[in-house]
Amino acid sequence: MRGIHKVYPDGTTALRGVDFQLHAGEIVGLLGENGAGKTTLMKILSGLLRPTRGEILVDGRIVQFRNPKDALRCGIGMVHQVFTLVPPFTALQNVLLGREETGILRPLPEDAARRRIERMLEETGLSVPLDVPVESLPIGVQQRVEICKTLYRGTSVLILDEPTSALTPGEVEELFRFLRRLRGSGGAIVLITHKLQEVLEITDRVVVLRQGVVAGELPTREATPEKLVELMVGPLPTFRVRRTPGAPGRPVLTVRGVRVRNDQGRVAVHDLSFEVREGEIFGIAGVEGNGQSELVQALTGLRPLEAGEIRLEDQEVPRQDPLALYRRGLAHVPEDRARFGLALGFDLVENSILGRQREPQFLGFLGRLNRPAILRYAQELVRRFHVVAPDLATPVRSLSGGNQQRLLVGRELSKEPKLVVAMHPTRGLDVASTVYIRELLIQMRDAGKAVLLVSADLDEVLELSDRLAVMYEGRFLGLGPTEAFPRETIGLLMGGVVRTGTDADTARAPSPR
Amino acid sequence: MRTPRALRPLAESLAAVFLGLVAGGVLIRAFGHSPLVAYRALLVGAFGSREDLLETLAFATPLLLTALTFAVGVRAGLFNIGAEGQVYLGAVGATFVAGSFPLPPGVHLLTATLAGMAAGALWALIPALLKAWRGVHEVISTIMCNWIALHLSMYLAIHFLAEPGRAERTIPALPTARYPVLIEESTLTAVLFVAVGVALLVYAYLWGTRAGYELRLAGENPDAARYAGVRPERVVVLSFAIGGLAAGLAGASQVIGRPPAWSLYATLGNVTTLGFDGIGVALVGRNHPVGAVLAAILFGALAQGGRLMEYEVGVLSELVRALNGIVVFAMAVPALWDLARRRLAR
Repeated sequence: MRGIHKVYPDGTTALRGVDFQLHAGEIVGLLGENGAGKTTLMKILSGLLRPTRGEILVDGRIVQFRNPKDALRCGIGMVHQVFTLVPPFTALQNVLLGREETGILRPLPEDAARRRIERMLEETGLSVPLDVPVESLPIGVQQRVEICKTLYRGTSVLILDEPTSALTPGEVEELFRFLRRLRGSGGAIVLITHKLQEVLEITDRVVVLRQGVVAGELPTREATPEKLVELMVGPLPTFRVRRTPGAPGRPVLTVRGVRVRNDQGRVAVHDLSFEVREGEIFGIAGVEGNGQSELVQALTGLRPLEAGEIRLEDQEVPRQDPLALYRRGLAHVPEDRARFGLALGFDLVENSILGRQREPQFLGFLGRLNRPAILRYAQELVRRFHVVAPDLATPVRSLSGGNQQRLLVGRELSKEPKLVVAMHPTRGLDVASTVYIRELLIQMRDAGKAVLLVSADLDEVLELSDRLAVMYEGRFLGLGPTEAFPRETIGLLMGGVVRTGTDADTARAPSPR
Repeated sequence: MRTPRALRPLAESLAAVFLGLVAGGVLIRAFGHSPLVAYRALLVGAFGSREDLLETLAFATPLLLTALTFAVGVRAGLFNIGAEGQVYLGAVGATFVAGSFPLPPGVHLLTATLAGMAAGALWALIPALLKAWRGVHEVISTIMCNWIALHLSMYLAIHFLAEPGRAERTIPALPTARYPVLIEESTLTAVLFVAVGVALLVYAYLWGTRAGYELRLAGENPDAARYAGVRPERVVVLSFAIGGLAAGLAGASQVIGRPPAWSLYATLGNVTTLGFDGIGVALVGRNHPVGAVLAAILFGALAQGGRLMEYEVGVLSELVRALNGIVVFAMAVPALWDLARRRLAR
């Protein structure tokens, strides 16, 4: 791949001139923070996205992929983080799905295919039960079905996006054994990951992306965790908000031994305890998918607690009742504004009372909406938080991300809260909105509110937090004042590497499962 | 600034209706008739005289109500296709109160109306509670309830409400329980005003109250609704109950608000398909109460004008029903257009 650029239709630039090579018989680790462009680059290689500029060469020939089928024809296949299996179908049926040899009216040539798949499984050492509906298989085996699907289409280049994030340690071992065997037979493998330990363990070469460019490339035997982190996080950011030392008071939010399960029923948050005090910003850093969403949802009344307790100002929090929490002073800037915080089809006026629709100031006789009061409030939000919109009757869908977030943050912060929970508050925003919203959070802190900031953006957490913790696989790896954590240390913790004293040895983080 | 945006759905619906009529014209042509002559007959038949206009509105009245049933469901994010069965039960409930015992004038009419609405709402509660408690998909449960309602209503009509000596229909509504006919010789009664009133109430509820806001929020974005503390089960029950009230009234309107029968046919012939037709009306009316009023008049006109089209031009009445379907299909065109534009923009 030469000089690959990618600009998404919404104007975000994901890649700005990336060169990437892959040779037969090697495993390459593709590292980078969230949003560095790893997945975008590999989606281009596998034909799922088209590059804005740049070219792809396979065996020296320039190729153009219009869709994943084109890429598969060149032997390139990708296994995504979210599987694309049909749950009630068996592994065999899933593997055959979408193959050219199955016409609409012709029956599936299952017997011939079965023999071929069995031979392939034998050669590669994958073990997959072919006749069980995949929905009843554990995640690790489902992943093997997914890999099997790709291999059956004749791929020699296998791209794996965060393949270990849902696997148990045993499943990881098995996957790695298989990958080594595949490499031995001349296959090329790209491993997208953020776990440093795995990169060091299995890859031959590491490519590090940062903000859409290659920050560095080196043979794995020359790599150390420190070197990789340095490449990943890079130099200090160019813009910063001013932050003076805070004056923390008594605790507002107290979390004791909280355990939360994710949608799949796995424990995503393991017995966490911490507190957030008035007049401080407590930051939680970490790569996404390490239990932050589940933690925040539990704190804001959107997800049940498995164990533990949450106290807001010395009173236990009622379980799963967002309205009661709002009444007691919670402001929640949710992780995904389009999914939780706004109704995109509603206009600015109606969105300005989302979550506040039961407050008496917005209601009239018999539960009618007090339209004039709501309109005045929406106007005030737009003015105070500099929301740019053609008019208040515009559906918020047609606002830019920055203006959507200004409206949402404005609505939440103008509640006069005691506790602000903000997750990825500046994700995907332009620089002006980013700085503005970060300044608002600092203002809240200076006004004596407790602020819990959860973000995958390391710079954001470092800039804003008075104290911070790094979350990895549902636990905190390190918690303390921000000054105690140099960037590199946090980078290592985010990758699951825990230092013991000054000893240079690395240790795998405690695995919860 | 507000008007153009609010009028856009209206413009799209009009364009779709126009496209549907053009496509229907092709179909009429294929059966060897002149589309222009046929449509002229349709128009004259629907709006040509005062009597025709009144008949059109009489046809439109129940359709408006069942359209509301579907529209409220959609606004809450539900695909409630149970209006059909709720109409049957509404008709049975109204017949029972209107025909079985005497009550003072006024009170009788009111209780018969309320009985129909209550019966429709109670029938709607079955799928609503199944959904809220057990997560049963409303499409499945409402279809099943429609069939149960059909046979239950026929049973009730034949065994408990039949008029002695007449097998084909139930006891008629007593005069004290009948809506006044608006103009002599027409079949339009004052129940029209009740229906329009219900449409306006639904509109005021959805856009003017806190509960209506929460209902629409749950339909627009269920996750945001959870964030806003809205309980999804309550929205399900509430929207089905409102829909059931409207459908029940639609059923009642055909018994106590539609001469000459003033009763329910044992085959339920005078109330069947009203619920399903209401789905099309709601779609053309963009699931908006005001849009539903306009769309109901359109479908009423097709029903009434279609008679003359058949009588004068010889176009089969089945073709008129096909026209209904084509117009509903054409409603997809604006969405397709949007989709195509977005594709091209990429």
